[in-house]
Amino acid sequence: MLKKIALAAGLFSATALASNAAQADVKIGLLGGISGPIAAMAPPMLVSSKLAIQQVNEQGGILGGQKIVTVVGDSACNPQNGVDAATKLVNIEQVVGLIGPHCSGSVLAVANSVTVPAGIALITPSGTSPEITGLEDKGLVFRTVPSDDFQGRSLARTLLELGTKKVAVAYLNNDYGSGLANSFKAEFEANGGEIAGYSAHEDGKASYRSNLAELSRGGADTLVIFDYGDGTGLTILRQALENGFFTNYVGADGMKSDAIIRELGTENLTTFVTSSPVGEKSDSLAVFNKAYIAAGGNPDAIFVTSSYDAAFLMALALEKAGGDAAKVSESIVAVSNGQGEAILPGEWKKAVELIAAGKDIDYKGAAGDLNFDRAGDVPGSYGLFKVDGDTFALQQTLN
Amino acid sequence: MPFMEFVNFYLMPGIVLGSIYALGAVGITLVFGILRFAHLAHGDLATLGAFAALGVVTIFGVSPWVALPVAMIFCAFMAIGIDKVFYDYLSERPKIIVVMSSLGIALMLRALVQVIWGVDTETYTRGIVRPENYWGIRIRDREIYTIIAMFAIVGVLWVFLQKTKWGKAMRAMSDNPDLALLSGVDNRKVTMLTWAIVGILCAASGFFLGINTELKPLMGWTMLLPMFAATILGGVGRVEGAVVGGLIVGIVEETSVLLIPGEYKAAMAFAILLLILLVRPTGLLKGKVL
Amino acid sequence: MELIGLLNYAVFMAIFIGIYSLLALGLNIQWGFSGLFNAGIAGFFAVGAYSSAIVTAPESSVHLGGFQMPVVVGWIAAMIAAGLIAWPIGKVCLRFRSDYLAIATIGVAEIIRLIVKSEGWLTGGARGINKVPRPFGDLSYLYSQLAYLALVIAIVFAVYWAIERQISAPWGRMMRGIRDNEDAATAMGKDIKARRLEAFIFGAAIMGLGGALFAHFNRSITPEAIDPMIATFLIWIMLILGGSGNNRGALLGVAVVWIIWSASEFLTDQLPTEYAIQAKYMRVFVIGLLLQLVLRFRPEGILPEPQGVSSRTETKTFQKQESAAK
Repeated sequence: MLKKIALAAGLFSATALASNAAQADVKIGLLGGISGPIAAMAPPMLVSSKLAIQQVNEQGGILGGQKIVTVVGDSACNPQNGVDAATKLVNIEQVVGLIGPHCSGSVLAVANSVTVPAGIALITPSGTSPEITGLEDKGLVFRTVPSDDFQGRSLARTLLELGTKKVAVAYLNNDYGSGLANSFKAEFEANGGEIAGYSAHEDGKASYRSNLAELSRGGADTLVIFDYGDGTGLTILRQALENGFFTNYVGADGMKSDAIIRELGTENLTTFVTSSPVGEKSDSLAVFNKAYIAAGGNPDAIFVTSSYDAAFLMALALEKAGGDAAKVSESIVAVSNGQGEAILPGEWKKAVELIAAGKDIDYKGAAGDLNFDRAGDVPGSYGLFKVDGDTFALQQTLN
Repeated sequence: MPFMEFVNFYLMPGIVLGSIYALGAVGITLVFGILRFAHLAHGDLATLGAFAALGVVTIFGVSPWVALPVAMIFCAFMAIGIDKVFYDYLSERPKIIVVMSSLGIALMLRALVQVIWGVDTETYTRGIVRPENYWGIRIRDREIYTIIAMFAIVGVLWVFLQKTKWGKAMRAMSDNPDLALLSGVDNRKVTMLTWAIVGILCAASGFFLGINTELKPLMGWTMLLPMFAATILGGVGRVEGAVVGGLIVGIVEETSVLLIPGEYKAAMAFAILLLILLVRPTGLLKGKVL
Repeated sequence: MELIGLLNYAVFMAIFIGIYSLLALGLNIQWGFSGLFNAGIAGFFAVGAYSSAIVTAPESSVHLGGFQMPVVVGWIAAMIAAGLIAWPIGKVCLRFRSDYLAIATIGVAEIIRLIVKSEGWLTGGARGINKVPRPFGDLSYLYSQLAYLALVIAIVFAVYWAIERQISAPWGRMMRGIRDNEDAATAMGKDIKARRLEAFIFGAAIMGLGGALFAHFNRSITPEAIDPMIATFLIWIMLILGGSGNNRGALLGVAVVWIIWSASEFLTDQLPTEYAIQAKYMRVFVIGLLLQLVLRFRPEGILPEPQGVSSRTETKTFQKQESAAK
């Protein structure tokens, strides 16, 4: 009986509220960790995804002039809310593709219990957990951010080439931080480097000075931080700089955040570099940066490039698939497999014409070339960035 | 390890952190002692105080220290308002209902902060401050102020509770509400006064957390559990106990990395709490048994 | 909008309500019938979810596993593991009264969360455990959901029946006696400590089962799922709103709160699209406000504890808490 009441109530509230949603041409879901622990990161990522959709709509729309409408859902960075929001997007809003969720745990849960059974393609711009590679996803799960494995290893090799043989590592104890730290440590030690301190920390504490003191006791003068620059990573970097625990600081893409420059000041960041994904032989990043700045955003926010790519790719794939949700996943691979005419961020009109003419296209993303492998992963190519003025500038590319 | 290194990098940060915990724990212990429920919105009220100070700093361009009293007054009125609009109606109900209500208030306050100030990580002043060196002790000015302010605020509160008429009324309510009511203590005024003081303490703890690190919408919520641990550790209803509890939790958290892996640092507050409860169920200073 | 989509959503809601019902029923045994203030539900939820996942998941290079037992074995293991963890915790913590017990259990849950996150050899650490088998997972979307719902309903009813039986048995009367008047129960020669421990373990085992059902539904379990807000406080809200001490009230509370939690997103999505992100913050505000309204107008819960079953009235509890505080 109670179940029936619950069901009826659920049905009623859903019908009552959803029926006045605007009738859309093509709906794409944007699922982000808007409330919850990564609240500071989510808005720029969503704005970036929306920029891609806006460009599509301005350049003639999709599927012969239809408009794409985005529907935003909140995963709160946990599986419970993620699955709930994804169920609503897929079933009530009837989206044809999903960008997100942002956090790996939500990606796993949403893919397993909603999008894969429902046959909807999912592209996550920031789920970096290696577990996503092994999902039994019928080819429906993609990500525009490389698995942590690639970045950790290439950063380790680059540091060794630059002559840094001894480092300490501080990492956030979540999928992002521990994934990067593990692969970095393995590669760094295998190539003759020395890890003189290696320690995880919890999010949201007020002081990390004792953690830093402990790390510095190993005698390294370089600290590698795998954390988010608008969260705990900022606190750690600030406290390390203030107390002079280390002289050089290295971060990964999560530390390439405008918050670092804004809060700590350029003059204090002369010995700070971060790695971040970048396309190999294209101007994609520059094109994206220009468009994103014009739209009022700061391109140094975390994961904005991969968020843009995810949305633009989804639109390209929909166009290629002719709007058929069942064909979206194969189309995602087809529009970005390294073969065909190069499409840069924002070149929607050109892409539509090429697809109409039956020619192959290859999207060169702002966060890399995005040539998907069988598991829906992309190999990363990275650059090392340093702080220059009030922004990050490419110092060198990594191999 | 050299002794000075221990003092500079383990003990001093622990005392600063402990002072922030203590300010929060004193407020929690007052609500616990006088109004007899666990106030789960305490952390988010502290967040609101910290952001209110930020609002004053950005709008008027004044120093954050000028903004602190404004935020304190603002939070005092917020706390009284929340009590009048929400908690007051539930005062005759089982206390668990008020606890749940305060959880709802926590969500509402957090949403308010996110809507008004956004979700970006903010600071009162840009740039970094390197510590001064006082005879080998490396400490920043703002850290000295944090410790001094904590003792000053708690000191004033203590004198108020001991010496003034209203302070005595509050203590009477805490010790024996029935007797206090019989002796003519005005329950409603004492409740209002308590909330005003709690609001001031919340704003102070949020502000000092913000000035020593950064401001984030979840900053208060993540501090809530250690603050509760500090309250119980010191003995519920005991102001000086909350200070001792806060300092112990802060120092233990910071020095714990010497012995255990860094990822378990957050568990230290609870480990020591469980230990104390086993040995002394009423807390370090004899508190109430609820 | 298609009707089939609506049905899918409704079925999903019912599954989640079923899973949360188990957590609320477990809490009702501890708080509603025995007066034990357990604020560490997330810990038992986690132990259950991870135990079942480890027992049933295929081998992994990251975490312990590879046993590939049938799902039923996993669920039994979840209940046993959660109960086993509850035993020493109860042994140590149940001597604390009400609010002290609450903070102690919050602490234990936090410690469990940190262990789950940090001991990768056991739990996969931050990566969690993936490829947990889901019963009827090979069916198509709707049928797989319906089959899982049937399973969840069957389990909830079995647990409900078991609790009701236990509560109307002498054991249940004794528990309420202890809750309402500890001194009298002691005077009558009841072993209060042992009875309380039994209730604590019984409730924890059911919470563990709820965790297991959650892990199998999502075919994965990650540390992000054991956030205290969503796995402890939310359940407290459900129980208190529904009416503690009444199992049907607990179920109704779960349904009402989860519908508020989930459907509030539709409400705030009515804001213009420029405010799509702010709308999500407003949603949290709306949830908090609705909670206030229900507490204000139905403070004793939607379905209060039936008076015939217990001698307790709400005012008496209040007076008892007051006198205990002295």
